[in-house]
Amino acid sequence: MHIVVTIKQVVDPNTPSVLLKIGKDGVSLELPVGMSQIMNGYDANAVEAALALKDKHGGTVTVLSVGDETSKNCLRRAIGMGADRGVHIAGPTGLACDSAVIAKLLGAAVRKLGFVDLVLCGRQASDTDAAQVPFLLAGELDLPVISPVKNIQGMDDDSAIVDRIGEGCTQRLQVKLPALLGISNEINKPRPAPLKGVMLAKKAEIPTWTHSDLGIEAPQPAMTLRRLYIEPPVETCAELIAAESARAAGRALADRLRQEGLI
Amino acid sequence: MPKVLVIGAISEGDLTGTSLEAVTAALELAEAMGAEVFGGLIGDECGRAAATFATAGLAEVFVADHARHAPYVAEFHVAAAQAIVRRCQPDVILAPSTGETSEWVPILSARLKAAMASACTRVGFEGGHLVAKRPVCGGAVQGEYVLNGALRIATLAPATYEATMLSEPCPISPVELPDVQARVKVIEQLNDQEGSGPRLRTARTVVSGGLGIGSRENWSLIEDAAAALGAAVGATRAVVELGWVPHAQQVGFSGQKIRPELYLAIGISGAVHHMAGLAGAKTIVAINKDPEASIFRTAHFGVVGDAKEVVPAFVTRVKELRAQQA
Repeated sequence: MHIVVTIKQVVDPNTPSVLLKIGKDGVSLELPVGMSQIMNGYDANAVEAALALKDKHGGTVTVLSVGDETSKNCLRRAIGMGADRGVHIAGPTGLACDSAVIAKLLGAAVRKLGFVDLVLCGRQASDTDAAQVPFLLAGELDLPVISPVKNIQGMDDDSAIVDRIGEGCTQRLQVKLPALLGISNEINKPRPAPLKGVMLAKKAEIPTWTHSDLGIEAPQPAMTLRRLYIEPPVETCAELIAAESARAAGRALADRLRQEGLI
Repeated sequence: MPKVLVIGAISEGDLTGTSLEAVTAALELAEAMGAEVFGGLIGDECGRAAATFATAGLAEVFVADHARHAPYVAEFHVAAAQAIVRRCQPDVILAPSTGETSEWVPILSARLKAAMASACTRVGFEGGHLVAKRPVCGGAVQGEYVLNGALRIATLAPATYEATMLSEPCPISPVELPDVQARVKVIEQLNDQEGSGPRLRTARTVVSGGLGIGSRENWSLIEDAAAALGAAVGATRAVVELGWVPHAQQVGFSGQKIRPELYLAIGISGAVHHMAGLAGAKTIVAINKDPEASIFRTAHFGVVGDAKEVVPAFVTRVKELRAQQA
């Protein structure tokens, strides 16, 4: 079985928002000094899901990442965790990523890899939060797609049974293989890379493929990012209810809200 | 004349409020574009929803009504949407962002080779371009995108536009559906468990708790306050991640976006991620022991104090006031 996992490198979503600054170009983020980027959280779940399937059914796991040279770092992390090989695809990074461009590059790369049984993507990247690449990539490859998936219940040669997070429900679905799944964080806890894996990953050859290597024209974006900005919060000057004790303040709050007709 | 198509969403047979919010967005956009607004509806036995939709100020509503649309499977919805698009020939498609449209609308955009912006908080028309505003980086940063191409699609985050007013009904036209072989099959569908209180998304009053309440044992403070007020219970991402309450109760950027009349935030600091779910809340009340908590800068009423002391006294007084009223 051949499983392909797509990975994006992102700004750590736990970066305190006061440290986020817009770059001079107005369309990129300025990384706080000393802060490196990390593997998108949902993509780490997708790598873990692929490795768990490999542990059970055998096969190989290939990881792909579009971005600049530094994207190889997250490919190395995935190889350290147990992925068999990684390919870096030269392309845009961060908020400059257009879903259509990324899907075209990834689609051409998957075709170049040859036969694939399963493609796993994180359900969305935590920087753009667009949640489109899994679907556009499935379109490029003409694969059925299910997202967000919180459990891979079972798999045989022709089909997989997965649990999808629905609207107020969980759907248990059967899908024909090959297929693409958008993986959500409920599915697993990504394994740490063992020391041996880290050493292996350091030495791993990671080729870079450009769009010409993939035999396609440079893809054109479907959307153009015009401006990024940080909205100052609407300041309200809360009316603070003060009283001689916390209990009295609790009672006074109820009275005040009643006075306003809110309760 | 250009056309804007709003594809509505149905919940338990009724048109959702978020569909009427999307109509407001479409009418604003249509005015700027000099366009007409049409409706599209995909469901099983969607007569009631279609009747409501037809009174939303639209030119015509196209309905794809078929048993294969429930339970939801993306490929059937995409086929239905394509049939509606063929009939309507829109320049712009809008839809509320839901758990279902988050899946089938991007698949549709791939089929139609159309640019798509997801979970937008604003769409506008400037100098011939469709411009979509959408939050990125967990809501900490806002992005403005220009959508390229002839057909453009946007899904809209809930609770950012007001619902449109209902008026005289327009014609409802059924749409012929093609045969489709779906590659995905539903084996079973299990509804998520919900508490006995009102639903978070539609509740008038919501009481939410955060890490500031101290421990899982103290969660009863939140439930007691919600019960006394007849409110729905919400939670922050941190509380959900600790497993104190299920994800369905999470309010915020990656949880529910709500618009209650009254929002009581207990032990919640007011992180950007959480506040991104509250853009539509009318009155915010904060109870927090940290006077520096950023929630006090966006709340309307506040008590600086320990929730363990403040909330029980608040609940007792609420019950007294309600008893007096009864």
